[in-house]
Amino acid sequence: MRYYHVGSVELFPMRLGRVVRLNDQQIAVFRTTEGKLYALENRSPGPKGGTIVEGIVAGEVLYDPICDWKIGLPDGCVLPPDEGKVRSFLVDIRDGEVYVGMEE
Amino acid sequence: MLEREHLVVVGNGMAGINTVENILKLAPNKYKITIFGAEPYPNYNRIQLSYVLEKSKAIEDIILNDWQWYKDNGIALHTGATVMRIDLAHKQVVTDSGVQTGFDKLILATGSRPFRLNVPGSDKQGIVGFRDIDDCERMVRAADVYRKAAVIGGGLLGLEAAKGLLKLGMDVTVVHLFEELMERQLDRTASLMLQAELEGQGLKFAMGKKTTAFLGDERVSGLQFNDGTTLEAEFVVMAAGIVPNAELAKASGLEVNRGIVVDDFMRTSVSDIYAVGECNEHRGVSYGLVAPLFEQGGVLAKHLCSVETKPYEGTVVSTQLKISGIDVFSAGEFMDAPDLAIVRMHDEWRRIYKKILLRGGRIVGGVLIGDGKESTRLQQWIRTGTVMTDAIHGALMGAVEAASGNTVADIADEEIVCGCNGVTKKRIVDVIQEQGFTTVEEIKMSTGASRSCGGCRPVVEQILKHVLGDKYDSAAAKKEGICACTTLSKDEVVRNIKEKGLITSKEVRYALGWENEEGCSKCRPALNYYLGMIWPSEHVDERDARFVNERMHANIQKDGTFGVIPRMYGGVTTPEDLRLIADVAVKYKVKLVKVTGGQRLDLLGIKREDVPKVWEELGMPSGYAYAKALRTVKTCVGSQFCRFGTKDSIDMGVRLEKKFERLDMPAKFKMAVNGCPRNCAESATKDLGIVGNEGAWEIYVGGNGGIKARLADLLCKVKTDDEVMGIVGAFIQYYRETAKYLERTSDWLERTGLENVIATVVDNAEKREELNARIDLALEQVKEPWRDILDNRKLKEQLFEEIKVPAHHE
Repeated sequence: MRYYHVGSVELFPMRLGRVVRLNDQQIAVFRTTEGKLYALENRSPGPKGGTIVEGIVAGEVLYDPICDWKIGLPDGCVLPPDEGKVRSFLVDIRDGEVYVGMEE
Repeated sequence: MLEREHLVVVGNGMAGINTVENILKLAPNKYKITIFGAEPYPNYNRIQLSYVLEKSKAIEDIILNDWQWYKDNGIALHTGATVMRIDLAHKQVVTDSGVQTGFDKLILATGSRPFRLNVPGSDKQGIVGFRDIDDCERMVRAADVYRKAAVIGGGLLGLEAAKGLLKLGMDVTVVHLFEELMERQLDRTASLMLQAELEGQGLKFAMGKKTTAFLGDERVSGLQFNDGTTLEAEFVVMAAGIVPNAELAKASGLEVNRGIVVDDFMRTSVSDIYAVGECNEHRGVSYGLVAPLFEQGGVLAKHLCSVETKPYEGTVVSTQLKISGIDVFSAGEFMDAPDLAIVRMHDEWRRIYKKILLRGGRIVGGVLIGDGKESTRLQQWIRTGTVMTDAIHGALMGAVEAASGNTVADIADEEIVCGCNGVTKKRIVDVIQEQGFTTVEEIKMSTGASRSCGGCRPVVEQILKHVLGDKYDSAAAKKEGICACTTLSKDEVVRNIKEKGLITSKEVRYALGWENEEGCSKCRPALNYYLGMIWPSEHVDERDARFVNERMHANIQKDGTFGVIPRMYGGVTTPEDLRLIADVAVKYKVKLVKVTGGQRLDLLGIKREDVPKVWEELGMPSGYAYAKALRTVKTCVGSQFCRFGTKDSIDMGVRLEKKFERLDMPAKFKMAVNGCPRNCAESATKDLGIVGNEGAWEIYVGGNGGIKARLADLLCKVKTDDEVMGIVGAFIQYYRETAKYLERTSDWLERTGLENVIATVVDNAEKREELNARIDLALEQVKEPWRDILDNRKLKEQLFEEIKVPAHHE
């Protein structure tokens, strides 16, 4: 596991997703009202595909902008009644700087 | 370079050319194409021949592909050339003039011809079919010389031919073998109504008559029937059905029954040879209508271009009589049968007959006479086998209360109720019984049923009613909250916001006891709208509560790129603006420039990070093509240039668009202004449509041309331009204040009632002024959003720019 420096927390608006491009991966990073940051692969788990960075964030849940499925931000798991999982990445915040962890 | 395969098409009609057009779209360079046509014309619209006969259209008007089209697409076209033989051994076709052409693939699209009675005298002069332009011209010429005509065949084609001849001034009698007209599409009641209607228009009928001979010397003078009677006729049209032109195929050794036998991919019994359209026979059926031909052509083209395709499995044919003054529609099954339940309405005073046939609760057929308004939807319901619901019943039959819930009992347990999410009836019944659910919302949250398109919601509700029986509490069910977070309805939420003075959505959720602290994807955008509508100057728009397009002020596309549509007031632009748009489109490598349905230009395929740059360089306001707000005001040319224009529609359209743009509404809002009643800008399908007359403007509201089509209702007529502005302002504000979020004017109008809207907006001057004062206040707050984002560097970055991380960085 290796942590990559992404930038300051200020880069991430509250309850709006932002794309981070890391090792050719598109990662959608979300900042919740409580100030937590979560990183998920920017790919919808639904049948129609698409990206998830444009979704609506409510608490620790992301509403998929295309299929309206509920995705748990901490682990990327889709909440009932739907099923599925989005790949999630670890995020570390140190001194207001954000680091995203990725397997090497 | 690789030699292209040679595709030869025999038949230059709609079936063959439609297939070729599809092939050109899918794989423009795959085939070298040669087409043989027996008629000396390019491809024309055979369905509209009756218009040529009626003289309401000229031959040029019904040409679908002109000579240039063949040239442009590199197609070798041989007209007036009849293919006589297919040489299977050498894979070539041979024409009547002896020309031999080799092929790799061969499509037979030879069509059909009128069925000709084989009785004594059928070779006399003055007897024609009704099939091609030649026949049409012969009929028109005959009408000049002769007076008495007979049309053999009381089907669709025969009636259209008869009506055409009648219009040309002939005395026309329709001779039909059966006692009822259109007996293959209509039941007895419907047939008799149709006959009465046509008799009223001047047609005569000889029903139940079999023609046994044509009388006369060289030229026909009359018909002899099997019952001994005769009919005087100087001109006879045979329109008693069609016969597939399958002789060529048969002579060449292909399998032929009634038509050329094909499988689900239009393959004949010989490999590399295909047959499409009226000449073929698919699963025992030869179609004589246009819809199946297009479906077949689509499948064949994909097959020939190696594009994956579903097999063609037949078509539910529907019939619509193209005779002015009579609505006749029929699709699917139409005769009573023991296993069918029939919904029937027969109004002899209004001369309306409607009949819907159900099998196991599903709509499998229908007949409409005298009122064809719902024919398009009915056809769709039949095609998809939709379950009858109160709502559908109401739409078709008028709002008569249906007996409750009998139809859902007929649905089998394993049948899918919600097609979007694959939820069966059993699943829904199970959750109601096991979890004790009492509302559709609970069912939706648990199973997903009715969540996506919402089309099955009435069925889910009926199932709920059915399972709960007496325990079903309609009040409780209706009192469902605006989303799963609350039990409060829209009206209650709005009242509370006003009474308690709640300004932010967080306050609303907290004060009104929301289940989820931060709401959900349903209530977040809704609350943001209600708050902005109630507190136009106090509420700060919550960007994180907006759906993506409204948040970014651009239309996201399926590949993650964006579409940008600049404002073009009234659909009017200038050469300078067009040049600028073109330059920007080239610079940012726009993938597609599309003229939209609302008369604007859409630049598609713009990369996310380029979107603000495109805005900046265009320097034009946002066209709001993504918003729940005024989209466009579509206008016709109007009195500035049009010879028919009585009013300056462009000027009025621009004025309206400039005044009401950018204001949030419950749903998208489309407008149109027309300079005369010809209505070229199509007011009848707009949320608000204006039609200019000599001396007055008519204002129509609640139209919709989308998912659920609805014709607009007349709200009022006014004289001056300022009156128009006053009525429109009040109407929009009344809609903004009373509609549910996402509710289009069409649904809202049906819910609130046209009379109520007229009473508030038109008849009550005081209320109208108050509404206008409130909308003016709201309009003062709007800002141009593209400029707004461009001026806010941080916001622009957050919305449109990715963060790129160098890979080696620790």
